[in-house]
Amino acid sequence: MVSRDIDRRSYLKAVGAAGVTATLAGCAGNGGNGNGDGGGDGDGDGGDTDTATPTETPAPQIVAGTAPGFPPFEIKEDGELTGFDVELFEAIVAETEYEFGGWREFEFDALIPALRDERIDAIAAAMTITDERDQVIDFSDPYYSADQSVIVREGGDFMPESLDDLSGRMIGVQEGTTGEGVVDSELIEEGDLQESNKRVYGNYTLAVQDLENGNIDAIVLDQPVGATFADQRDVVVAYVYETGERYGFGVRENDDARQQAINEGLAAVRDNGTYEELRNEWFGSE
Amino acid sequence: MESLVLSPALPAVGELLVPLQQSDWEFVWRNREFLLAGTAITVLLTLSSVAVGVLAGLPAGIVEVYGKGRLADLVRNVGVLLRGTPIVVIFAFTFFVLPIPLPGGRVSVLGTEFGLDAFFAATLGLGLRSAAYQAQIFRGAIQSVGEGQMEAARSVGLSKLGAIRHVVVPQALRRSIPGFQNEYTIVLKDTSVAFFIGLAELLTTGFNLFVQESTAVFEVILAVSAVYFVLTFVTNRGLDALGERFTIPGEGSR
Repeated sequence: MVSRDIDRRSYLKAVGAAGVTATLAGCAGNGGNGNGDGGGDGDGDGGDTDTATPTETPAPQIVAGTAPGFPPFEIKEDGELTGFDVELFEAIVAETEYEFGGWREFEFDALIPALRDERIDAIAAAMTITDERDQVIDFSDPYYSADQSVIVREGGDFMPESLDDLSGRMIGVQEGTTGEGVVDSELIEEGDLQESNKRVYGNYTLAVQDLENGNIDAIVLDQPVGATFADQRDVVVAYVYETGERYGFGVRENDDARQQAINEGLAAVRDNGTYEELRNEWFGSE
Repeated sequence: MESLVLSPALPAVGELLVPLQQSDWEFVWRNREFLLAGTAITVLLTLSSVAVGVLAGLPAGIVEVYGKGRLADLVRNVGVLLRGTPIVVIFAFTFFVLPIPLPGGRVSVLGTEFGLDAFFAATLGLGLRSAAYQAQIFRGAIQSVGEGQMEAARSVGLSKLGAIRHVVVPQALRRSIPGFQNEYTIVLKDTSVAFFIGLAELLTTGFNLFVQESTAVFEVILAVSAVYFVLTFVTNRGLDALGERFTIPGEGSR
């Protein structure tokens, strides 16, 4: 009886203590936060912000957002973020008077809200410039033009030569990409393809896996990405559909200073050969 | 191609598993540190969210059983709202919409960096939703304690609050363990949705790995699943042991 009592009491005490601790921690967190907003922008670089005084004018920053998982534009290699967009954008910012504030990773669909919410200052994520997106954010000058590849199994007997050949087949696309848009507008809305024949993936790697396994017959995706997969996996590019689509870096609406700086930086890396170097490095297999 | 076809008796499955290559397992092993860091973030997020869930869910459950008037209505309605909202919408709300200042700064766990703002928003979102579910678990457990217990406690002079605190809740907590095991497992798995707001937990780490080595999809997913399984299994067994240790005298189920 006695020992049970103690157990119960110590148990309740423990729960109570946990509650108090959590409440205090909550207060401390909020208090610290008020201080942090002033000089907290540079936290990523280490402890030196503690000594920053309000008199010091912080260097204007560009914090970039991306969505890894889109080779060769943005991928994680051994835990490190890299890719064509990543290296190109860092080179561009280095040409401007802005300080590079590091990368933040999001799911692709969360990038535009994050930009508008000022969690990031720019998007470098192979984002196609569309009217729809242009209404909510601004874009830099285009830095890449990607047409759509149709890739199929290597050695298979299905070798489409136009989008119409895809009719009646199982087609894979990545959610929210231009590839999905092309399949929707050119095939499904035209009545050439059943909605149920479109299979949407969160990630192209899974789509390619399904293509190799024979669960789908083709994938519509950006041409340089298709070329990368054709190199790595048992798939081939059957047909290239020219969309004339262009990628741009996203900036907040009315953030003219950063937009202009990025445009000038892009022109500078084009002029000094860095752009070509990076393109050859990341798409050199073409 | 060096392949590990599991069983020649299952040709369809065997064909599917052809990509299970030794080199891909070596790739998973080489990247074990990243998976470990992702696991650590998953565990931290689970613990903080479950803690928020218990701290808010237990009082909410008590209010749902004994509360009257506006407070009880409010708790019930907020609970329905939270239970009926997809977790990704809740995350978008706590991260982008909610007008409270989230802490800035970034922390590094085992070499993998993440933003404190995303972690807090995820804890808040997962924790509050878990509180809504846990309130129902506790409500059920409290209601399962016989009414005679309350009457007996009142008749020996305990106040209503005292009776709830010293007689009903201690019994209800023990009976809530099975439901709590479910809820813990759900929270653990739903941490994976936190990548939406940029938190690189276990599943995200796995995604990043197989995007890098695109032949290793199955191997990475199997490895990640194994980690989730171990986390679920160990905690459920731990809670079973806890339930046995603190079992209500005379009510031992095994």
